[in-house]
Amino acid sequence: MIKVENLHKHFGKLEVLKGLSLEFNKGEVAVVLGPSGSGKSTFLRCLNLLEIPDEGNIYIEGDNILGKKHNVNKLRQNIGMVFQQFNLFPHMSVTENITMAPLMLKKINQAEAIKKAMKLLDRVGLTDKAEAYPDQLSGGQQQRVAIARALAMDPKIMMFDEPTSALDPEMIREVLDVMKDLAREHMTMIVVTHEMGFAKEVADKVVFMDAGCVIEQGSPAEIFNTASHDRTKLFLSKIL
Amino acid sequence: MEALPFLFEGLWITIKIALISMVTSLILGLLVALVRISKYKFLSTLVSFYIDLFRGTPLLVQIIIIFYALPDLGIRLDRYPAGIVALTLNNGAYVAEIFRAGIESIAKGQTEAGRSLGLSYLQTMRKVILPQAFKRSLPPLTNSLIALLKDTSLVSVIGVQELLKQGRQLQTWLANSTPLLGVALMYFIIIYPLIKLVQQLERRLKKGMT
Repeated sequence: MIKVENLHKHFGKLEVLKGLSLEFNKGEVAVVLGPSGSGKSTFLRCLNLLEIPDEGNIYIEGDNILGKKHNVNKLRQNIGMVFQQFNLFPHMSVTENITMAPLMLKKINQAEAIKKAMKLLDRVGLTDKAEAYPDQLSGGQQQRVAIARALAMDPKIMMFDEPTSALDPEMIREVLDVMKDLAREHMTMIVVTHEMGFAKEVADKVVFMDAGCVIEQGSPAEIFNTASHDRTKLFLSKIL
Repeated sequence: MEALPFLFEGLWITIKIALISMVTSLILGLLVALVRISKYKFLSTLVSFYIDLFRGTPLLVQIIIIFYALPDLGIRLDRYPAGIVALTLNNGAYVAEIFRAGIESIAKGQTEAGRSLGLSYLQTMRKVILPQAFKRSLPPLTNSLIALLKDTSLVSVIGVQELLKQGRQLQTWLANSTPLLGVALMYFIIIYPLIKLVQQLERRLKKGMT
């Protein structure tokens, strides 16, 4: 479904991605691990072109998204993104946060959009917060709304950029539970996280990155138990 | 006392000029701010030059040039339009900087959240960034309205019959300086509530931020 070839990205003189090649299949949950600064987030942000790669190819369902004729806005409608800092719109209620993009970009009316928003809120367990504003919610609740907001566009792929890193420990679980539900429904997911439990439990594939390169990838069992590369072992020994 | 209606006439013109100029300079300032932060380097440099030019020269000089010097270039404006154009161009430069600061104060994550949902740059601006930026800009915008109200007195030099001009005429006719005190009082009466409004807006914004 997603095929990345030889991806390079520089920020000034700093080379953040050094020729990444990766593939993700439809319905697959991939967890990307690695030390901070290894380029995980940049890689994710290249997939929806929040960052423009300097070199390489990205194919999504066969389309070369770096091609000149490719419509970036259409592409992003198909790729939901959840950020570390939630990035909810503070001037909109929870419902407005969720319905805004569908109302602007899809041919649906207010009533349909709200009905759908309520369904999504039910899914993330926040129907009682429909009229609340982001600053009235806890971090975990905000992140669940952010997931609902991304899902409202019916994306084919969901990307999570360290979705629990800004959360207090007691709120991490409620967010991970929503993500696990999504995984069970066979959403194609790419998750950058340090939550090893999540990776072990639901990932189909674990990718280990360091210093802008993919060091190794495989099933959770392969990576966690029989990692072949020293850098992977070192990283895992520190984090597990 | 019989002079009061005469002053009110001037006050009315002052308010009209200030309100029209405020609306036009808000529109101008917003457009200029958007061009200023756009990726179009040439246009951005051009509007920066406009901003610097109008912030870097006295408004009085701008008013006089627009009324007395532009006709030499074939652009002839009546007193009122000339005054409004000068005030708009001048205040527009300040408003543009207020909007730019407001837009730039909104966290980058907001733009990214909007864009990642599939909204275009302009849609993200309109729905996500500008509503937040506008709210944060309200106190400085109100300050610029106060400045504008006071600056309208400068267009008396090109013969616009606003409050100050009326007051000075009365002063001459009556050979008495009391009307000038009336003028000052009238400015104060309309500006004082705005000063209080700014203080209130700033307080509310501070509360909302924490």
